[in-house]
Amino acid sequence: MALVSSALLAHTTDLELVIRHVLAGLGQGVHAGRERGAGVEFSEYRAYAPGDEWRRVDWKLLARADRYYVREAERDSHVAVWLLLDASASMAEPSRSIQGLDKLGYARTLLACIAAIAQRQGDAFGLAVLSAGRVQFLPAARGPRQLQRVLATLKQVQAEGALPDADVLRTGLRFTASPSLIFAATDFLDWPSSLSDALVRLRHMRHDVRAVCLQTEAECEGSFDSGPAYRDPERDTAVFRFGADLREGYLRNREQHFATVTASLRANDVLQVAARIEQAPGEVLRQWLRQGGRR
Amino acid sequence: MTSLWWLALPTLLLPIWWHRKKRVQVKAEPLASARFLPRTEPRQMRVWRWSDIVLLIVRCLLLACAIAWLADPVFPWRGDTVVIAQGADAQWVEREIKAAGYGEAARQLLPAAQALAWLRAHEREFTPGARWLVLGDIPMPAMLPQFRRPLMLRTLARPAPRTESHVAIVSARPQEWQRMFAAIDGPLRIVLDQSPGAATELIVWDAPDAPPATLRAPLWWTTNAGAFTELAQSKAIGAMRYADGARGRVWASTAWPPSDPAAARALLDSWRELQYAPIPYTAPSMTFAPTPGAAVDYASGALRDFLMLALVALFAIERILTHARRT
Repeated sequence: MALVSSALLAHTTDLELVIRHVLAGLGQGVHAGRERGAGVEFSEYRAYAPGDEWRRVDWKLLARADRYYVREAERDSHVAVWLLLDASASMAEPSRSIQGLDKLGYARTLLACIAAIAQRQGDAFGLAVLSAGRVQFLPAARGPRQLQRVLATLKQVQAEGALPDADVLRTGLRFTASPSLIFAATDFLDWPSSLSDALVRLRHMRHDVRAVCLQTEAECEGSFDSGPAYRDPERDTAVFRFGADLREGYLRNREQHFATVTASLRANDVLQVAARIEQAPGEVLRQWLRQGGRR
Repeated sequence: MTSLWWLALPTLLLPIWWHRKKRVQVKAEPLASARFLPRTEPRQMRVWRWSDIVLLIVRCLLLACAIAWLADPVFPWRGDTVVIAQGADAQWVEREIKAAGYGEAARQLLPAAQALAWLRAHEREFTPGARWLVLGDIPMPAMLPQFRRPLMLRTLARPAPRTESHVAIVSARPQEWQRMFAAIDGPLRIVLDQSPGAATELIVWDAPDAPPATLRAPLWWTTNAGAFTELAQSKAIGAMRYADGARGRVWASTAWPPSDPAAARALLDSWRELQYAPIPYTAPSMTFAPTPGAAVDYASGALRDFLMLALVALFAIERILTHARRT
């Protein structure tokens, strides 16, 4: 099956459906390898929840108790996956070519896919949403219920306000010392910012930090409509204009900004994937995951 | 010219101006990467926001109605019309209408004396192609009427209505007076009363004593000027003197009753002409050609009643709405 395109993405809000299609297009190559077999130890039984794999249901126990039980994670995953979503007002930036698609929706899809992969691999995963000056924190856990929780939280996210300041972020992101994998979806328009500081700090704490920088085609090419006046969704009420005469300057400023961002991230060994939201999400996802493997 | 009132229509702009809220709005779309663009002066757009649209509409209608009432507009809505004078012979009318081909035309029944004047006053209400046919006993106008459209006039003289006049004779020689009244011809018929009554229009007082003070009539003829005190200050025409008093108008002459037919005829003619309206002369049937430059009388009041009702209703609604807005 072909990779799900962004245009199709804009048509549904059903994250589970999107995950199924995106991951189906992704193939099996991205899996880090599920640990199975001798090394796996039984830890506990847990009541069956929709979404659990049938093969994990303990049939003998079913025969005895007439209830479905699942043999719970047989191993201690040494990696926790953290999903970091920037939901500040600038993430509401729509694609100017695909109706109904915006950066937040795209980020939501990517993170939902990561969560689904993590769940399939048996990893613990948690979510932190940065929006309206607050951090919405979902502690890491395993299993299909956690996936449902993460998806429900992602569905409710609205792009509003600015990023939380550094103090809020420091107390909000209560990561354990154990090494974890951090996937951050943001637009990197604010640099340096509390988020950039947090990412660098997390990297210094030996976490594997991978950021996806979401852009739109219009942003990259400077092809905005010159008709309306524009305002910055996160800053003061100043008004901006776009026109053919300003395109050069715009592209130069933007390039300069992102050069700084890239240099800074590289200096701190934070992985960054630049993605246009008009690209197929599967493609971006593969790139995002593969880059991690390369290190 | 009432149509000059239409020039007052710009006053409608006043409520529109009052109800417009002056708002300067900056319309700007959010753009995440706006920070890479230079700042610009906000483009100010004057946005017309309306407050109380219903009240605004009512006020505008109220003003428009008042102006229309003053300007007294006329809409041409009448088509071919047959104007029939009251009292015209119905069979003759039908025949004439058929002959002239006005079977479909609207019919307007009017007093004969007003027919032409009515057409002149309402000329603007007729569509440009409308034709006129006037039927009946139309009196001859003093001047040739001028219209902007052709008018066909078909007349049929009616026999003059017979009228009665009550005359009381108080005289020692009533035969002479009666002979004179018997000689009268034409539509006026003389009824001789035995004694003066309420219906008596003429009292012939040919007696030496004065009439009782309570007796009243529109006209008195007397040969005894001394019996009527009001004749002391009277004016004279020829041998006759006349005066107005409490009991009525008095004509006095010592030469009465007239001795020869010419004098009798002169007296009776004077009486008829002065006391009774002349019988109109029926105009001959004719066709009036349109006169392009004919002045048009401005019809008044065709829509005024309706406009006045609308004005009152709108005023009431306006007051109610204004009150509702305040509370």
